[in-house]
Amino acid sequence: MTVDAHTQERELDLLEGYCPASGAYDELVGPDRTPRPHWSTFLHALRRLTPRDRLARASRLDRQVRETGLVHDVFADPEKPQQQWRLNLMPLILSADEWSWLERAISQRARLFNAILADVYGPQRLLRRGKIPPTLVFGDASYLRACQGIQPAEGHLQFYAADLARSYDGSWRVIDNHAETPAGVGYAVANRVMHADVTDDLFSECRARRISTHFSNLQSALAERSGRGDPTVALLTPGPAHGDYFSHAYLARYLDLALVEGGDLRVVGDEVFLKTLEGLKKLDLLVRCIEGGKADPLELDPSSFLGPSGLVHASRRSPGLMINAIGSAVIENRALGAYLPGLCEELLGEALMLHDAPRWWLGDETARQHVEDRLDEFVIRPASEGTGRPGQAVRGRVAGVLSADERTQLIIDLKRHGEALVAEQRAGFGTMPSLTSQGLQQKAFGLRLFAAASSDGFSVMPGGLAMGVDAETAVALSTSDGETHDVWVMASEPERPHSSLWRPRLESALVQRSQRTLQSRVADNLFWLGRYLERADWTMRVIRSSLGRRLEYLESAPTRHAGDVCLEMLISKGAALSIPAGSRRVSGRSATLAGQLVSERDSTYSVINSFDGIYRVASLTRDRLSLEAWRTLASFRVDETWRRRMAEASASELQDEIEDKLSLVATFSGHLHENMTRNFGWFFLDMGRRLERAYNLCDVLHLLFHAGQSEDESNEHLNFILRLADSYITYRSRYRLQPMLPLVLDLLVMDETNPRSVAYQVAGLMRHLEALPQQSGGNALTRERRIVLALQTAIRLADVTELATVGSDKVRPALATLLRQALKDLPELSDAISRRYFRLVDDQPHRVVLRHEA
Amino acid sequence: MIYEVSHRTSYRYESTVTQSQHLIHLAPRAVARQTVQRHMLLIEPTPTWRHDFTDYFGNPVSVLGIDNEHRELVMHARSTIDVAARGPIDVKAGKAWDEARQRSGGRNHDTDLDVAQYALPSPATATGAAVLDYARPSAQPGRSVLAVAWDLTCRIYDDFEFDSQATDVSTPAIEVLRKRRGVCQDFAHLALACLRAHRISARYVSGYILTRPPPGMVRMQGADASHAWFSVWAPETGWVDFDPTNRLMPSDEHIAFAYGREYGDISPISGVLLGGGRHHVDVAVDVVPVVSAPRPGE
Repeated sequence: MTVDAHTQERELDLLEGYCPASGAYDELVGPDRTPRPHWSTFLHALRRLTPRDRLARASRLDRQVRETGLVHDVFADPEKPQQQWRLNLMPLILSADEWSWLERAISQRARLFNAILADVYGPQRLLRRGKIPPTLVFGDASYLRACQGIQPAEGHLQFYAADLARSYDGSWRVIDNHAETPAGVGYAVANRVMHADVTDDLFSECRARRISTHFSNLQSALAERSGRGDPTVALLTPGPAHGDYFSHAYLARYLDLALVEGGDLRVVGDEVFLKTLEGLKKLDLLVRCIEGGKADPLELDPSSFLGPSGLVHASRRSPGLMINAIGSAVIENRALGAYLPGLCEELLGEALMLHDAPRWWLGDETARQHVEDRLDEFVIRPASEGTGRPGQAVRGRVAGVLSADERTQLIIDLKRHGEALVAEQRAGFGTMPSLTSQGLQQKAFGLRLFAAASSDGFSVMPGGLAMGVDAETAVALSTSDGETHDVWVMASEPERPHSSLWRPRLESALVQRSQRTLQSRVADNLFWLGRYLERADWTMRVIRSSLGRRLEYLESAPTRHAGDVCLEMLISKGAALSIPAGSRRVSGRSATLAGQLVSERDSTYSVINSFDGIYRVASLTRDRLSLEAWRTLASFRVDETWRRRMAEASASELQDEIEDKLSLVATFSGHLHENMTRNFGWFFLDMGRRLERAYNLCDVLHLLFHAGQSEDESNEHLNFILRLADSYITYRSRYRLQPMLPLVLDLLVMDETNPRSVAYQVAGLMRHLEALPQQSGGNALTRERRIVLALQTAIRLADVTELATVGSDKVRPALATLLRQALKDLPELSDAISRRYFRLVDDQPHRVVLRHEA
Repeated sequence: MIYEVSHRTSYRYESTVTQSQHLIHLAPRAVARQTVQRHMLLIEPTPTWRHDFTDYFGNPVSVLGIDNEHRELVMHARSTIDVAARGPIDVKAGKAWDEARQRSGGRNHDTDLDVAQYALPSPATATGAAVLDYARPSAQPGRSVLAVAWDLTCRIYDDFEFDSQATDVSTPAIEVLRKRRGVCQDFAHLALACLRAHRISARYVSGYILTRPPPGMVRMQGADASHAWFSVWAPETGWVDFDPTNRLMPSDEHIAFAYGREYGDISPISGVLLGGGRHHVDVAVDVVPVVSAPRPGE
């Protein structure tokens, strides 16, 4: 076969079986089944790849999605199946001409909605004159009366997104509008970053447009809006329990915004402040990713504390503060579509370019009658839904498939709550190609495009989020399989050189910039991240040393004994567990104990608990992690299957697993170590680690050496502790002697140059505490510094010979006293740090009201 | 009739409050028949910031924050208001409610938004089957709007028992209907739910009422209370008030302070605190007539 014949065959393969469904407009091929011209470069490039290569890229993409952790609800039950985010290798490609029309159409809508909002929250002329039915607005829960009169000079909308569907005739229609929050733009950016990683060669060859310019314009627009060159901008998220937290964290990280929750903020009069380690820091702008109605317990929903109390009033005094303005979601009302052509003429003096799907608003008596008479033809949905989550639009009620009771209820709802409902007919979806193991397949899709205000009007991100929809049941962006596609926009002219906002080489500089302000909540999480990482590492070292198979040194019974003693001690922490009875030094006992220490949820120090802790707190602070560390994070998610496997594992299986997990922790710590600047955030992470390391070492030293032993036992214990504390080589190179207790104690307790010693940890703690902002005035030492100083002094004043001396009752009194002091002081230090730096987090606001009695 | 209204609320907190913010509707509203002669609101400790403005519904409101630690908080509002008696009203006169309603919802002609916005249910006055059932005997076709409102006023007075323990600030009308008991706020909410279920524009009124000591007794200081009733809009007369708690149509013994869709829009004092733990609150209200002119018909 010739090379040409090969190519020919691949070409046939690629489009074979790609059959347009009757009627639907297909993106890739025309009615005559030949590819549309703007796909040719991509198809050509795709044909050069072997089917095997295409699938390999697809599976690399799957891995990227998994590692990036998209749509993983941090607090979800790990056992429950969740809808996975999926990203298909096939992009949706839009021609330059089509894009230029869409761009104008979308930004026209954004301008129109801004004008409508200015009237609705202003003079309400449109309502008064019936251009918008007043009850459409008054009956919509997202119309917030408290925000009446708040008029940002730059308009209510900074962000606007539209969901589009392709109708049979090839025209676009709008199936939903998003004006509440940035509506999942973080997902679109994440898709692009992951997709580009796998398809960068194809992307360049197609000369598709990059999205970074859109976001750097957005950053300039934010700066301009704040009136400051270097504004402090925060993104307000409902927190990790919210389904879109990923998108919020990703966007915050991409735009270099502080990711904050309501509890991190405090309103004082006209201004909003961020609670940081240095006290309150004024914010210039707040990007709102929480529902408007839940943004202020004082003036809005009194049961929601997602936003700080007083936020509405702060907006009233400084209208430019919030983006989007609180209350902007009222234009998402699905009933508004019918009135937009008239409003566009009236307010902009232009013809509306892009229309909404035809709908009947059931607050209108005539429309309701019309719909009731032909009920079976319609899908009935809420006029206002309030979710910007891509793919999650409600499917609505279809009279044709309802039971008699449901139908009766539907008719009652139409009559009683018509203002809040719309009816529409299914108008079908266009189709696009999706790469499957069977080759290219057609699938129905919807498209979300994102606009953002910039200094010269709205610009539309040249990309977007295409998503498979269930064409049988959906009228809006309701997905059944969660499959998404990147959106490529063909450039009409050559692009300027690529500039990524990630700026990987400059990352630490960027982090430095945004982390001058560290929220107390983030400091708390980083402190615990340090503790959990160190704890996981230590526990696994104990297990490894105790299983000891791979270590060449001194394999004898007493060594295993020291390991078992440590294992038992660690297992019993946190819970009075029964250690399985059995004679000592029986083969396999270490493995049983080790399995227990890995998998026992009741034990505070178990590996599974430490991993859960790492995953949880790292997820809470993932906007602070480097991209590499973020990707490693998913591997810390350990599930029930893993737990059961570990509980029953043999010694060698355990050992392999422990080696894997140890290197995982090392990799993750390495990413943190390499990529975090040494600022306050780092101090807390490192303090957590040092505190935990010092405590664990003292704990084991006390366990093994507070009482005198036989020489044999002592030798084995010394070897064990040197290996556990990773100081065996240091010892041998320094002394070239058999381990002797005074020398070992000098190395592991007193030596401030040994990075594994207690003294080294304490010195590190002291250094960090001195560098942190001091919140108490005067020269008096803070409590936490006093604790560390006392401990440091006690260690420095100790004498190794005395420490090693055994007293009359076979106890080493000096050593026991010193180690007990450390074991008492270190937890107190942890408490003192919490009280001083994290206290701002603990205040829970609550609400008080008086009622009308009489 | 001129009244001096004094409303003093003092809170004592179990532990230190580090920050508190309050939204306060304790200032009288200048409306037809009512002239505000004097008003002052004293707050102790002195707020860090305070802004007085007019809210969405046209009521005077104060928002303030106290950013210093405190264990006690006193808010004392004192107002002097001149209230004129209303003229006689024939509730039976006027257009039928089911015809009058058409006027406020139509398209393409100027709509009185202030009327239109009060025709829709709000969270505490949501419609349900039970609300519609209860409203039906009052909302007979052909009856005037005011006659419907008066009928509801009488029936609520007869059917419901005053009980300050049965409900709380957040009890919705549907729940009040089930319990058949409540306070003025609950009765007003129920009437509003019934009226709005038929898209009749009606609003919640908060204010004060003159109370008289039992014959032979001296008026007790601080023993009055804030009060609530409702107001209904009829094309011929505009807004007319009804008090279902006392089965009457208010004249110059009711002093209106604020209008809203429901209690939640205009609660006298609401606040969000950081810290504080449990709190103890004392409320002392006095409504004192300062000029006792001879009253017609007495």
